[in-house]
Amino acid sequence: MSSNIVKKFKNKQTLSRLKSRDKEVFTEVYDQNVTDIHRFVYFKIGSREEANDLTSIIFLKTWNHIQNNTLEDAKTLRALLYKVARNAIIDYYRERGSHKPVSLDDEQNPVDIAADMSQSDKIDDDQDLKRIISKLPFLKEEYREMIIMRFINDLSLEEISDITQKSRGNVRVLLHRALTALKELMES
Amino acid sequence: MTDKDLISKLNTLKNVSPESSWLKSNRELFLAQISNSGADKLSTGRIFFINFKSFLKASSQPVFALGVFMLVLVVSSLFSHKLFSQAKPNDSLYIARIISEKAKLNTVLNPAEKNKLAVKFAINHAQDISEVLSDPAFNNEENKDQVAKLNESFNKEIDSVRKMVNSSVAKTTESEESKHNPVEMSDEAISIAAEHKSEQGIEIKEAQLNEAPVVRATITASTTVKEEVKATTTETEATSTEAKVEVELSQDDKINEADKIIDEAQASFNKIDYKSSANDSSAIDKLDEVLNIIK
Repeated sequence: MSSNIVKKFKNKQTLSRLKSRDKEVFTEVYDQNVTDIHRFVYFKIGSREEANDLTSIIFLKTWNHIQNNTLEDAKTLRALLYKVARNAIIDYYRERGSHKPVSLDDEQNPVDIAADMSQSDKIDDDQDLKRIISKLPFLKEEYREMIIMRFINDLSLEEISDITQKSRGNVRVLLHRALTALKELMES
Repeated sequence: MTDKDLISKLNTLKNVSPESSWLKSNRELFLAQISNSGADKLSTGRIFFINFKSFLKASSQPVFALGVFMLVLVVSSLFSHKLFSQAKPNDSLYIARIISEKAKLNTVLNPAEKNKLAVKFAINHAQDISEVLSDPAFNNEENKDQVAKLNESFNKEIDSVRKMVNSSVAKTTESEESKHNPVEMSDEAISIAAEHKSEQGIEIKEAQLNEAPVVRATITASTTVKEEVKATTTETEATSTEAKVEVELSQDDKINEADKIIDEAQASFNKIDYKSSANDSSAIDKLDEVLNIIK
């Protein structure tokens, strides 16, 4: 129970300080979350350049949202960032006028694979990973989002539930279906 | 590929990250943008206030509510006797007054003070009963049963006052002696005190149970103990030292005086003509005198 209270306290403290236009705390928030948000956007829309632009917009929108609104609807700051990110991606699709899946296997914009993987792992994993990455855009939007949040960005079920406004049970079912669908795509 | 393998492969995609050059440039740009919108470093006082407010909000509401409830319970148990102190024996809140007085007694740690407070409460009860019975609006044929009960209650209160006064005076004297003659207790002394239980009635037993250290202090030898214990009764025996004789006389006087006044209060109560009781408060005055003796 004490760890829950500490967590709640830190969250309330961060949100209150942001509301008070504390530059220092927002810098910390940016440093802690920019990579995750960028990765989320990148795997959703498939373009690194677009992901860069959108990530900047997302943080600026979050800052403005905190200043102009009450923060009771966001349990954590991370959930708020993802909600703003999802809305920003919807606006991006609307502006583009299309919703075609974009392949991530683009030679001009190769996906960076971590250099710390071993040589043997790299070869096998490269192929498997490349397959996964190539198939991801063909997944249903909802399934892709679930997989990115849960298995790539390590969000908890509770956080996903808060972001997507779905029950935890519903999230669990969607995750199972998403994995099944991805496996079927890879085997096809 | 199993689900587990697929998930572990997906986990490795955590390593996908933006270019470090973009990260650096975007950070600077972003900080510049929010600075333009009024962001700045907060003062220490403001941060402290925010931390305090956040802690209050973060504390689980049920825990907070329980804490407030416990606080109200403790405060009300300490101060409720003041709220109900005006309730008379024929009022419905009288039971609340009794309960709050008991709670107040339980908060007093010093046994001597506790006893004095108990005597004070008992005297107050007796006085209130006298007052109620002196009211002709209450004391009539219609309330015959209640009047009889109150009479009985008065007698019980008087008896408890008598016992507690004896006990209170004995304890006060013994604690005064302990300051001058600190000595250790002997087992023989305890058994002698127990032997005299029947002679002393409840007083010795209370002294033994509640004030064992004080009893210890007055014992020097088994024979002296026997003499001192006997001296608390109506018997008088010569003792070996003058100091002991002086203490025993004062103790005896106090008890005798208190007993006498209690008897007078009882007599006044018994002979009161309730219809004229508005002007006759002698029982009440006598009980006030008893209160002064035990102070």
